[in-house]
Amino acid sequence: MKFFSLFGGLFFVISIALAQEISVLPKDETGKYIYYEVVSRTANEDSLKVRAIDFLTKNKKEIKLKSSKETAKVTANGKMVITKSLAMLSRPTGEITYTFNFEVNAQKYRFWLSDFEFIPYQKDRYGNFVPSTTVGIALETDAKKSNADQWEDYRLQASKYAANFAKRFKDHLAGKLAATKPSPEKKVISKTW
Amino acid sequence: MKNHIAALSLLLLSTASVAVAQEKASPLEISGSVDTYFKYDFSKVANIPTYFADEQNSVSLGMIDLALKKTTGKASFVGELSFGPRGQYQSIPDVLGGYDAATNSFNIQNLYINYAFTDKFSMTAGYMGTFVGYEVISPVANFNYSTSYLFGSGPFQNAGLKGTYSFSDKVSLMAGIFNDWNVYQDFNGVSHFGAQLMVAPVEGWSAYVNFLTGRSAGAGANGTIIDLTTSYQITDKFKLGLNAADYGVSDDGGGYSGAALYPQYAFTPSVALGARAEYFTFKGAGGAANASVTSFTLSGNIKSGGLTFIPEVRFDNDQDAYIGFVKSNLAPTKTAAQFSLAAVYSF
Repeated sequence: MKFFSLFGGLFFVISIALAQEISVLPKDETGKYIYYEVVSRTANEDSLKVRAIDFLTKNKKEIKLKSSKETAKVTANGKMVITKSLAMLSRPTGEITYTFNFEVNAQKYRFWLSDFEFIPYQKDRYGNFVPSTTVGIALETDAKKSNADQWEDYRLQASKYAANFAKRFKDHLAGKLAATKPSPEKKVISKTW
Repeated sequence: MKNHIAALSLLLLSTASVAVAQEKASPLEISGSVDTYFKYDFSKVANIPTYFADEQNSVSLGMIDLALKKTTGKASFVGELSFGPRGQYQSIPDVLGGYDAATNSFNIQNLYINYAFTDKFSMTAGYMGTFVGYEVISPVANFNYSTSYLFGSGPFQNAGLKGTYSFSDKVSLMAGIFNDWNVYQDFNGVSHFGAQLMVAPVEGWSAYVNFLTGRSAGAGANGTIIDLTTSYQITDKFKLGLNAADYGVSDDGGGYSGAALYPQYAFTPSVALGARAEYFTFKGAGGAANASVTSFTLSGNIKSGGLTFIPEVRFDNDQDAYIGFVKSNLAPTKTAAQFSLAAVYSF
């Protein structure tokens, strides 16, 4: 009996943890979904810009630098892959593209992700999923009734991704993601007592 | 009870171990499609000989297609099987290399392993959908449901070993050695060489120049195909595709050439209209005259979730009476027209 109580309790805690609600991104004054954050500066202006570009370089499969010519400003284009999962199975259904902006001023830096667009995938001749078009559908577009749940899921996945992206970006700019050194290999000297 | 807890602990531990061990592995991807169609030739005889939508006045089957894909680190595989006329004897050869509904039992669309040595260079070995041409066997990746003469005349699949190098997002080059067209085993050795140059000059425009040459088992001459496949998303709503190919067999052994244009207009993300205009020439072998055919196809794509309806009308002109169209009274004619309605579901 104790076992079932323990198992039930564990299941409840895990369920609560998994069910933590993610809310859809807020909209800006033009009606577009946006993730916007202002952060107090932890380093000088040049250093922050270098770190921002370094972050983009290290995540080049996910986001590509568009421009860094302007002082204290960086822009980039990124994408996230949307997957449909069930148990151990999964398949990509599309990708959401976005624009990334980063600016530094005297005391703070700010960044935002916006212009979210969904591009559906289709299977190519080799059985791989690839974008079916180069024209995205703005995430703000009203979905048809038949696709409403799916569309809401895309918005939630975009929101979850943006929050995760922001955390990684801020950590990188704060210098928290210094290259992790591999732990030294343990050696056993078998010839000594 | 202790045994239960111990068993559960062991199960959780083993599950966690597997999860850690497979940290870099993607989940197994399962996908596929199902298609069915109705086709009606206005002469009441199945005239147009291109692939798949060929059965007259019948609600007929396409295929069920099932694909598995798994990526672990830099390695991945794709295994794709199909069942039904479109995915078996209409497109897959039997062990003797023929298309015979009575003996056909193979149903492999893709079966290959890929290894990405770097971000820019990968190699693939196995049986793959051909790199030549605009249209493919799967109805999911085609706009029109019926297929072009170019599609039907070119290779469907190529087994082989190929390497692909991406110079940038805009340029890549593939080169490889391949079996004869559409066979699992090459009986005269790996006898074909193929290459593909991909360029994407501007966003939305991609072009593939394809080359495949070699001598097939039992053939007396070399066959060489040069193919251009390109598409350009000119505006948000308008896309234009083009396929042009020339296939020649040495020693005046015939071949074909042709071009097809694919304009498509999307009224909404769910509703689009597209045409295919094709000019195709059968090259005469051994001094025989060439014969040409023109074809115009108008198709709609109406999508709802994974389902796509494809209503289609098609008009073909066999100007040299090479194909042998007939009227309803079986008298010869140079023209043929058909209507079809297909439903394609992808998942």
